[in-house]
Amino acid sequence: MNKKITSIVIVGGGTAGWITAGRIAAHHRAQDGNINVTLIESPNIPIIGVGEGTWPTMRSTLMKLGISETDFIRECDASFKQGAKFARWVTGTSDDFYYHPLMLPQGFGKTNLAAHWQAARTKEQLQKSFSAATCFQEAVCEQGLAPKLITTPEFNSVANYAYHLNAGKFSTFLQKHCCAKLGVQHVLADVVSINSADNGDIASVNTAQAGTIEGDLFIDCSGFQSLLLGQHLQVPFIDCSDVLFIDTALAVQVPYESEDAPIASHTISTAQDAGWIWDIGLVHRRGVGHVYSSRHTSEEQATERLQNYVGAAFKNLTVRKIPIHCGHRQIFWKNNCVAVGLSAGFLEPLEASAIVLVELSASMIAEQLPACREVMDITAKRFNDTFRYRWERIIDFLKLHYILSKRTDNNFWSDNRDPATIPHSLQELMQLWRFHPPGDHDFTSNNEVFPAASYQYVLYGMGFETDYRYSQHLLQDIAVAQEQFAKNQKNIEQVVRSLPSNRELLTKIHLHGLQTI
Amino acid sequence: MSNFVALHNQYHQQLRVDTQLIESLGATNNMVPVVISEFLRLVVHYPIVFTKSSETGTFLCVALLGFESGENLFWNNNQWQGIYTPLNIMRQPFFIGQENNQTLICIDTDSRTLTTGQGEAIFDSTGKETDYLQKIKARLAELLEGENHTQEFIKTLLALNLIMPMALDISFANAQQQRVQGLYTINEERLAQLDATQLFTLQEQGYLQPIYTMIASLGQIYALIQKKNERLDNA
Repeated sequence: MNKKITSIVIVGGGTAGWITAGRIAAHHRAQDGNINVTLIESPNIPIIGVGEGTWPTMRSTLMKLGISETDFIRECDASFKQGAKFARWVTGTSDDFYYHPLMLPQGFGKTNLAAHWQAARTKEQLQKSFSAATCFQEAVCEQGLAPKLITTPEFNSVANYAYHLNAGKFSTFLQKHCCAKLGVQHVLADVVSINSADNGDIASVNTAQAGTIEGDLFIDCSGFQSLLLGQHLQVPFIDCSDVLFIDTALAVQVPYESEDAPIASHTISTAQDAGWIWDIGLVHRRGVGHVYSSRHTSEEQATERLQNYVGAAFKNLTVRKIPIHCGHRQIFWKNNCVAVGLSAGFLEPLEASAIVLVELSASMIAEQLPACREVMDITAKRFNDTFRYRWERIIDFLKLHYILSKRTDNNFWSDNRDPATIPHSLQELMQLWRFHPPGDHDFTSNNEVFPAASYQYVLYGMGFETDYRYSQHLLQDIAVAQEQFAKNQKNIEQVVRSLPSNRELLTKIHLHGLQTI
Repeated sequence: MSNFVALHNQYHQQLRVDTQLIESLGATNNMVPVVISEFLRLVVHYPIVFTKSSETGTFLCVALLGFESGENLFWNNNQWQGIYTPLNIMRQPFFIGQENNQTLICIDTDSRTLTTGQGEAIFDSTGKETDYLQKIKARLAELLEGENHTQEFIKTLLALNLIMPMALDISFANAQQQRVQGLYTINEERLAQLDATQLFTLQEQGYLQPIYTMIASLGQIYALIQKKNERLDNA
């Protein structure tokens, strides 16, 4: 029983499988023989390839894996992402948009910027939206500019950034790197059955092509089927469709009109009558898709919305329909098995939470890998508490985007605003925010996923008004706020002058590469 | 404006180069790209550092002439103050061009160094190259070979993590502060950690000498600050 954990077996080879394998192998230096990391991948099951959007966390994940950013950008069709633009979410009119950028508001924490912004807006001293008035990144995105220069070293930035990537190519890229550089064993085989130990642990898996494979810790990256945690260990699935109504995606790949067409450096999310359309610019194509609630619209109607969005090119494109079950497992780690990726759960892609949850899971498993079986249940409990908290906070944050909409064109929106569909935790926060803006004191866990600033961007982007009548005495530092607004304006002028277009920088990276220093 | 065309012994037979004006073309350069083969001549005046091309982000070696854009502290009283002027200045108004994978000599026909009066002839009356052009060709050849050589040098240093950013915070005599960014130099700490095999390889490649020349040349930054202080005094 009290034996060192040396053999990690990962079942499934998508983004989740390879990131997890790579993080564990790199952290424990598997290539030196400290532990064995084996990834079993079915030669027959295709990769789902969800989520082409990442968070800035991906930069540190790639660094920890020892990957060159230049190689990654070149081989995964990657482009830069500086946040999300939410269009038509509030009123549905064509001029209705706000940004959730990847940088904090200017001078965040120095003063109650949200309050001063709201006051200036009310007195018509300031026309700008909250994100435009407080964060220079909105201007960078609106002008299609890159977050850095060709002279900026790998992983460094002028403006904080994440990536858009081709998920299929990313898996292949990670696989090559993990096997060649990090000492991960790759076994191409189908898992056909699972052998249990007396204590209910997974002792080994039987494969059709590679015999029986034993392990101390099994990581379920088998996708929606949740082969180990869901099917074998019978951990129930907690459905969230009563909160998040999106249940279907229609996805297309849209070619650019010309080779030098601009590449948006942010995700564009445009609300529709019963859902929203994502638009992600990669180097060679755009990924566009409509996620919707089939309880509120038909597939025909949704297809028409997608067609209207894409335009004339649509008739030549193949539409892929993907069912979405919003929800997660009740626990993620049971016995000696932990699920990462779709096998743990999935939420609609509004805030690109899929890959970041994989990174966070992989990071915690790698860094807190139980030394031996005896202590594994404690790690498992911590992991479960941490990730249950994270999934719930993500659900709250996603729901926030819907409850402040003023749209009335479909019951989708009024049903979303129905308090019966809003988690209690979010309702409480909304009550507090009637009188003060989201602040760090509202998010005190070590395991927060979204910072207070993100809530501010969405809240005030969607026209929420906080009532400051009881806190006027705390808002005397108008000069400090004015200074921040002026600084933001100065930053905008400076970056707009110096940054190249997103397309221009990506082209240069393909030609010349980025330097490591 | 510039207009680069291939040098031709008929079209350009009448042209003369006013060599007095050549150095003035660098009057507003605060740095100039240099090649390894001229390091020993450069080190008498100039700090030799690395910087990144703003176009491609790739490293190149430069001689530092000033601390801000447009400032050449070696250009004073309409003269280049120094006994050695970098090749990339002295080759002007000639350039190396590429056509169908062939290198050829080009000339900037809009250069203000070109005259039809006083100056060095490029071709003689029969269309034959003058000694002057021979000399220019030797400079261009040194540059062409030197650029490849210098790129190899940089590649080797990068692979060994021997290049590091240089923090240059300068206070001039009039208390003016200046931070110079975007310059890189040899990482001496890392250099001291190289093992015998790595050092031997650098020696064999002929890179040890330019490495130490670059380190030694950093002392010229003080001379450059001195020049700046003199200029501020006279202003």
